Order: sequence, then C-alpha cells, then structure tokens
Amino acid sequence: MNKTIRNLLTSAVVLALAPLPVFSSGGNLLIKNGTILTVTKGVIAKGDILVLNGIIRQVGQDIQAPAGVQVIDATGKYVIPGIIDSHTHIALDGTNEGSEAITPEADVGEVVNADDTAILTALSGGVTMVHTMHGSANPIGGPNVVLKMKWGRPSEELIVHEALRTLKFALGENVKQSSRTITVGGPPPRYPQTRMGTNAIIRRELLKAKVYMEEWDRYNKLKASKTPPKNLLPPGKDLRMEVLSDLLRGKMVARCHDYQATEALEFIGLAKEFGFKVQAFEHAWEAYKIAAELAAAKIGISVFADSWAYKMEAAEGIAYDAGYCAKKGVLVSINSDSGERIRRLFNEASKTMKYGGLNETEALSLVTINPAIQLGVDRIVGSLEVGKQADIAIFNEHPMSSYTRCDMTIIDGDVYFDRGQYLKEREEAAKQAQAPKKGGRP
Amino acid sequence: MNVRQYLHLFMVILCLFAFALGETADVGPTYAIRKAKIVPVSGPVIEKGSLIIRDGLIEAVGPVDKVAIPEDAEVIEAEGLIAYPGLISAHTNLLLEEPTPARTAETPPGPAELIMGGAVQAQAAQTADLMIFKQLKPKKTTLDGFLKVGFTTVLVAPNRGIFQGQSVVVNLNGEKAETMVVKNPLALHINFTTIRGGYPSSLMGTIAYIRQSFLDADHYANAQTLYAKNPKGMKRPEFDPFLETLLPYLRDKKPVVFQCNDLEDIKRALKIIDEFKLKAMLTHANEAWRAAAVLKKMPIPLLVTLDFRPPNGSMYVNQGEDLKKKAETEIYPANAANLVKEGLRFALTTFGLNDGSAALKNIQSAIKAGLPKEEALKALTIQPAQYLGLAQQLGSLEPGKIANVILTKGELFDEKTQVEKVFVDGILWKF
Repeated sequence: MNKTIRNLLTSAVVLALAPLPVFSSGGNLLIKNGTILTVTKGVIAKGDILVLNGIIRQVGQDIQAPAGVQVIDATGKYVIPGIIDSHTHIALDGTNEGSEAITPEADVGEVVNADDTAILTALSGGVTMVHTMHGSANPIGGPNVVLKMKWGRPSEELIVHEALRTLKFALGENVKQSSRTITVGGPPPRYPQTRMGTNAIIRRELLKAKVYMEEWDRYNKLKASKTPPKNLLPPGKDLRMEVLSDLLRGKMVARCHDYQATEALEFIGLAKEFGFKVQAFEHAWEAYKIAAELAAAKIGISVFADSWAYKMEAAEGIAYDAGYCAKKGVLVSINSDSGERIRRLFNEASKTMKYGGLNETEALSLVTINPAIQLGVDRIVGSLEVGKQADIAIFNEHPMSSYTRCDMTIIDGDVYFDRGQYLKEREEAAKQAQAPKKGGRP
Repeated sequence: MNVRQYLHLFMVILCLFAFALGETADVGPTYAIRKAKIVPVSGPVIEKGSLIIRDGLIEAVGPVDKVAIPEDAEVIEAEGLIAYPGLISAHTNLLLEEPTPARTAETPPGPAELIMGGAVQAQAAQTADLMIFKQLKPKKTTLDGFLKVGFTTVLVAPNRGIFQGQSVVVNLNGEKAETMVVKNPLALHINFTTIRGGYPSSLMGTIAYIRQSFLDADHYANAQTLYAKNPKGMKRPEFDPFLETLLPYLRDKKPVVFQCNDLEDIKRALKIIDEFKLKAMLTHANEAWRAAAVLKKMPIPLLVTLDFRPPNGSMYVNQGEDLKKKAETEIYPANAANLVKEGLRFALTTFGLNDGSAALKNIQSAIKAGLPKEEALKALTIQPAQYLGLAQQLGSLEPGKIANVILTKGELFDEKTQVEKVFVDGILWKF
C-alpha cells in the first residue's frame, strides 16, 4: 500500500479512537429544512425534526429550537430513518461454531466486538442498527444479537434489548458441507451431508428439547407437590436445550438461512409440527416460487438485491425476488451479509425499483421499517415518527438515487458519523504524514 | 574395651552423627547483610540497616544500631547496596518443557489417526485435573535469567486448553521441584481460547462450554450431596473426574484464574464469576485500563502482564505495522499507569515473556509510560503475595518471612542498576 495512504488511514483510526460520538448533543438536536422521508407517514418538504433526550419529539415544519439545542442545517438534503441491516456478521469475535452440527448454546451476543471498524463502515452508509448473526455452518447455529452502531461506546451499550430474540438455523449447501474437500488426515465429514439429513437432525434436536422440557415440568410439579420425594434432584441444566426450549415456548423466533423453495417449505412444516415461529428466511433466492405460502404463514425474507448464481443452490435466483415478493405481501428486507456491502444498502434497496417496480418509499422500506418489523423493533425505530428513538441518516440526494451519499448518521440523537468532519480529519492527517518528521527519520 | 563397650560407643557415635546430620541437612546458612539501604515495601525505607537471614527465614531487619550481628553469621558488607524483597511474578509458563509443536496441515498423519478414520487428533478442551507441578523441569539457565533481574518467586500455570489445569507457586531456589514448591495447587486456570479440530472451535462456543461445565459441576455436586445424605434407595451418581476436579473451585471457593486476552474477555469473565459466585482472579489483562469502569464496580485481583503485544483481533493489529508498533511501545505499556490513575490495584506478571531481561525492559517501559516506581515495586512484591494468599510468607522484608532478598547496586528497575546478590529461601544464589 502507498505509504501516504497508509499513514492517512492509520491516523484516521487513531483519531477515531478518541471518545466518540463525533459530537454528543446530549441527545438534543433540531434538524432543519430537510426533505423528510418518514417512510411511514409520507414526505415532508422543508421539514424539521426535533429530538430531545434521544427521542423524536416533533416532526413537521417551522419548529423552533428550544434554548441550548443544537441545530443541524439539512437544507437541500434528505433525512431518513437510520438504515437497518437485517442480516450481517460484523462486530463479532467469531461467526461460526462449526465443530458440531447443533450448537444453539453458542450465542453471538457473548462475543460482541465493539472495536470492529466495520461499525464505522456501516455508519458511513447511514446504517444505525444491525442484526448480527451466527454463521450458516450449522443446521442449528446459535442466538443472534441486534446492535446499534455506537462506535466508541462499550459493547454492552450497543445491544438492543427491545429486539426479538432470534435463533439462527441453516439449510442447504453450507450445512451439508458440499464445498468441503474431504482429505486423508483432515477432519471427518460431519453429519448431516444431505438436505434430508439436515431436516432430520433439526427434528431430532427439537424432540430432545421437548423431552428436556417435560423433564423439568415433571420436576417442578413434584417440587411444588405437598409431599415432594426425599431424593428429588433437579435435572441438569443444559444450555443447548435451554435455548431450544425458549424457541419452543415462543420466547425466541427462528431466522433460517435458506436458498431453495423445497427446503423452505419443509422447514415451515417443522415449524408447524413443533409450534415455533419462523420470523424470516435468509437469502431465500427461490422465495418468489413460494411467495403465497410465505405471505400466508407471515414469514418474511431477508435477501440480496441482485447477486444470485454464485453457487449451485443460488442458480435459480432472480433479481425480481425481493420486489415480486414484496408485492405479493411478503415482508421483505434487503441485507448486506457483509462488512463492505453494508455501507451501500440504500443502493441495493433501490435496485428493486428497476427489478420489481417498487416505488421510492417501498424500496426504502426494505432497509428501514421492514427490517425493523422483522427484528421486532418497529415500535422504537424504522421510521421518522414522534416517540421513536432518534436514529437518523442524512443524505445529500434522494437515498434511492444512484448519485447519493450519506453525510451524517445519528443514533439516539448523537452524531456518530459526520462526513465533513472526517474529511477534515483526513486532510489534517495527510498534512501530518507529509510534514518532515523530527529527528530526520524518513 | 570389650565388644559390648565398643558397641555402646559405636551407638553413641552413630546417634551423634545422625543428630548432627539431621541438623546440618535442614539448617540453612546464617547471613548478616550489613549497612544496606533497606526497602521493606511493607514499611518505611531504612537508610542504613542490617538484615539477618537464618535458616531460610528473615530473622531480623532494622537500622544497623538496632540489629545485633549473630556470631555465627556470614557477614555481607552491603554499604552502597539496596535490599528489596525478591520479586514475584504471579503468572508464568516457565520451567515447563518446550511444548511439542502442533501438527500442521503439511505433516502427514500418524498411523493411529489414519486408523481412526482420518480424524485429526483434537486438542483437549479440558485438562482440569492436570497438576502443572508434575511437569516442572527447572533448568538453571532459565532460573538464572529471572534471578538476575530480581525474581525469586513465580507462579507456574498450565498453558493449554480451556480448563487448563492447576498452577503451583515456586521459589526459584534450585533445580528440584519438590524443594521449590511454596504452594500447590494454587488455582484452577481457565483461558478463553478455542480448540483446534474439536469443540468448541469458536469463542462463543468456549464461553458456553465454560458455563456448561460449571452448571454440570453444580448438578454433580447436588447429586453427590443428596446421595451422601441418603444413599439407600437412590441410584448412585456416576463418578466424573473432570467435574470432581471443579468441585473445590465451585463449592469451596478455591481461586480460579481467568485469562483475559482483551477488554471483552474481562467482561465475559466477570459475568461468569458473578454467575457462579467464584473466587477468582483475572490474568493477562493487558487491556484492563479499558475495563476500568466495570472493574471498579466489581473489584477483583488483577494479574496484569508486562507483555505489551496488543491482542490478535485488535484494531491496532489489523491496521498496519505503524499502528501496531505504536500500540506496543506507547499504548499498552501505559496500562498499569492508567490503572493507578483509576485507583485500581493490580499485580504485574511476566506472563508471555520468556526471559528475565525482557521482563525488566518492559517494567522500565511501564515506568516510562507513567507508572510510579514504588507502585511497580508493590505490584511485583506485596500485591501478588496477597493475591496468592502468601502475604504471611512473601512480598516484603519482615522478620519471619521467607528470606527472598535481593541486593542491588542502584535503584531497582533503573537502567544501569545491577542485581548484585540474590537470596532465595535464605540461600545465596550462585550464578
């Protein structure tokens, strides 16, 4: 890498280590004179948003700033709800517990890494919230976690406790390890190696969980009885089974990595059999084939816009998947699944206007209110409405335009990304890098 | 003299000889260190003092005019020298055999592995029952290196797996493990690491594994207690050697040491410690300053390493050599200084450093980064002694304590300072 550029990057990171947000308003802001895309309540031209204590208090026109509240001039700009990524793996120390097929005890919420610079990348694309997930190496992976992109804050402050608790499932090629070459001396193939095996092992584990639950129920009943047996021992607590029990009791919902329509239908069958909720299928390249079934079962999808056919099971993907399903009444979100694509989710969403004919608001919904609903946080974020948390992004052009870019990202009323500020810092860092160093060292 | 008389005489001589032998075998030499400046750590500095060592212990310490020199003592004139308690490193992997190199992808599998269907031999996640004492292989060269910079006591911990095994505290007094032991076992060591080729292969898996193990041990203990009370008519619980090893640490609150390789590990450990009400210490902890807020809320003994390499996943490592170097030379050496500023107590350790000179150099870096010299001294003497439950025996120059004493020319930790003499268990070490 060019040395100047490297110095520049280095300095940027060092600066970024300074206590953030870029500027803390104490959660009090007035955004003035922007085009406000509320997503759920229409568009307000020359509109203002008043934020107090991190909560949106007023959305409208000609709002006066109370004393001491910082004003952000958004003249000529577009103000939208912070973008939400329904499926990514950033800000984690590790993605997969791939050693075994069934690992619901492996909770990504335990390994949040608030130092991951992908958080900064996300902020630069207007992303304020992510659903960061266990990988797709296992039929039953582990619990996922929803984070706000509060760069510079301790990891525990990033976690969004209001969100639905979700459990990662996965089907298809990743799970049956079809891309793995089995070598002499290498690890032995892991069960399952087929799609039918995948379905069978999930059923087997859920049956185990039922037995586990019954065991506890029996114990609790005996313990509560008038004459509990003398040698009554509580069953051993099993973290793996605890998580599956929570799923079966409706305290968690399933998010299932899936490519093909057939296995999606099979999984819906399992969900019916065991009575758990499938919140969304991930990637779901063949969702268009079963849009009616998904809509009827109230199961959403979280997909890419137009990057299909990168492997066999994605061969029948189409760019119209998201748009078509949305029109058929499926709750659709566009996700990044990547620490890079995450900064241009708005571009990805806009593709559904070309492929699928969604209008601007519908397209923007795919990365704002729809993922919010999927994550169970639409009461608090996902649109610009009074009473919601002030997670806001400001774009220089309409966010569905190809020429747009994010200028400012705000979370809970604090500015976490300010393009102007960063560019200034970069310039200064470049100047420093070029200035002759003391001591004559090159 | 008749035979009987001869025999009698012989018996007498034998008895005398045996008595004398017994005496000399167990009695260490007596030394009188005279006219040294004495830094006892536990009390004020004595500008001109004497320190008497007898039979491995400190017999007396005080100003020259207050301490009588015993007749049988070998006098060491120490004018111009400074006496300190020997330094303690509360976490090392010293004195162990070189670890066997892990098999890489290139090396062909052994026959056993081929028979086992090509399975890569997975590392063991737990060797909790391992007593590291049994693996001590003291070598004079290693001892010399650490003694030369003033270390006389180290904790040796196992270093593989998640539940790694149980540590031992030794005095660096020779090459015989049994004679070196101060306390065994000291603690159970747990590391937030992963298992190559086995479960758990991810950090989140490791956290679940640690938690599940303590849950299992708790259940096991319940079952054992119930069975012990009323075995009649109850199926006996199956014996489990692993869980059996965890019991004293879970139920009797013996110390557990969590190796925290970065900021987040500290929070993870604190959560588990709180959940299972463990008596615990945190080691490594070279990002402890970043966790100051949580550590203030939940005070815990900190064994902070002098190894300043940032953690592997750190952004300092991922952003190029310049930043990595800056981290190693400026940011991480300030850990201890920052802890002092935050009012947090800690011991310093040489964990991750394999020779004494590197340890000394890094102590100097920490001091340069703002750690007051007297805090550095405490963190390497009385503080670790307290944390290890050895404050009665070690960590300061007081009568009755083990005679681990160093004599330096110049102030300890200064660039040009030489450690002139080292006494371990009251014996003058010969380099």
